[in-house]
Amino acid sequence: MAQKNTLVISSADQLLEARTRRDFLKVLGVGGVMVLLPTALAACGDNNAVTGPRPGSGNALTIDFANGDFAVLQFAYALEQLEADFYTKAVAQFGSSGLSAAEQATLADIKNHEIIHREFLKAALGATYGFTITTTYPAVNFSSRSSVLGTAATFEDLGVAAYNGAAQYISSTDYLTLAGKIVSVEARHASAIHDLIAPKTSAFAPKTFDDAFSPTKVAGMAQGYIVDKLAFANAPSTFVQGPNNNG
Amino acid sequence: MDQKTLYDTIDPEILTRVNARQEEISKGASINSKLAAALALGSIPVALAALTKDVFAQAPSDVLDVLQFALLLEQLEAEFYDRGVAASGLIDAGDMAIFAQIKAHEDAHVTAIQALITGKGATPNAKPTFDFTAHGAVAGFNFSAGQYETFKALAQAFEDTGVRAYKGQAPRLINDKAVLTAALTIHAVEARHASEIRRLRGLKGWITGASRDDLPAFTQGIYDGEDNVMQGGVDVSSLSLTASNGGVDAATQAFDEPLTKAQVTAIVMPFIATS
Repeated sequence: MAQKNTLVISSADQLLEARTRRDFLKVLGVGGVMVLLPTALAACGDNNAVTGPRPGSGNALTIDFANGDFAVLQFAYALEQLEADFYTKAVAQFGSSGLSAAEQATLADIKNHEIIHREFLKAALGATYGFTITTTYPAVNFSSRSSVLGTAATFEDLGVAAYNGAAQYISSTDYLTLAGKIVSVEARHASAIHDLIAPKTSAFAPKTFDDAFSPTKVAGMAQGYIVDKLAFANAPSTFVQGPNNNG
Repeated sequence: MDQKTLYDTIDPEILTRVNARQEEISKGASINSKLAAALALGSIPVALAALTKDVFAQAPSDVLDVLQFALLLEQLEAEFYDRGVAASGLIDAGDMAIFAQIKAHEDAHVTAIQALITGKGATPNAKPTFDFTAHGAVAGFNFSAGQYETFKALAQAFEDTGVRAYKGQAPRLINDKAVLTAALTIHAVEARHASEIRRLRGLKGWITGASRDDLPAFTQGIYDGEDNVMQGGVDVSSLSLTASNGGVDAATQAFDEPLTKAQVTAIVMPFIATS
């Protein structure tokens, strides 16, 4: 058998690369074989299907706090890109999601808000400080109502905690107000999503005080959905905890 | 007066800035009229007070003022929900878990803000006597059975006000990171409450334009300015992707707007009884 008709897969990630997929089709087209080396599956968990590039497997995306308030805006920009992308994908798959018409209307509104947040930050940061992240959703099933709503709740709660925790690093009162304008809308989203999941319970506002998470903690949680490797330079050495003391 | 003793009672951060400002003034920098008047009168305490304000936009007194202001709003909300939850037959049984949660939060917010004020060495203001008819604007409202729709409407008004009030005060807390962070974590909880009550009333959880929706006209001040689309010098209604993503309505929903202390005071005053 000619070498060109054999496609060797040594790691699961290769299965997801466009070039590999093209080669796969070519190989099939000429009646070739594909060899899955044992290493291809070694990295896979037993129950987790690989549905995208591994989180954090990409190039470093470094946010440098030497840039002052722009670093906080960049951090927000990364999160807003993630949220906007998630809701765009969710809306695109409404047909198979099992979400009711009312739930779809709520998520469509939120998608609009997150896209506007993203585009606003893009304009505010300009070409100098802007960047584009690559998202991945290894554990999200966009055809599952509970998976979509559960992920949305995670993102909204995280967004609230991220803005609450990052506000202390903002030196401009104008940017502090802007962060405040956005965070309360994220909290409104969080409330609505939790109420869709568990209507008329206390889930819409489970805590007396919302969380305030340090950028490091937020990055660790968001990294699970971002291919780029999040990193900080000149990160603040101190973090003032909120009332929940869990940031 | 012993100036050194007086200085010893002042926040060192202020003192540093005062000294720097004094140098600037001695080099010919302009001073504000209150300071000039105080210096002319030879009043060191008054001059110092004016100078403190002059050099330090967020004096500790600002933080205390914000906390006392927040306390008033939380006291208003706490009494409103305390009475609502305790009232027989007012709240639909199926909604009680929602209002019991909000009541618990507002009670805890009152306690927390009182503790922050005490922690600053000050005394929390006493709770005023509230009038939930807003001097008659909400005629006959007294937490009776059958007044649930009015109760929910007032709840929405208070929560949407609270969100805007905390937001408006955040800049005054920028130099006190602990209080700022605490205030923001309350601010977000108020927004969760607002969203829940709005949705319970059949509305969107977010505010569109400057619409008060079905609330009575006297609440319009709570929504004035929410139609702002200029954010940090960017017109978010004319971003290239806004038109295809909800347009100007979504652009206003996506950003909650602050209210000044004076604006919030004008909204709240009708709910404080005149003796």
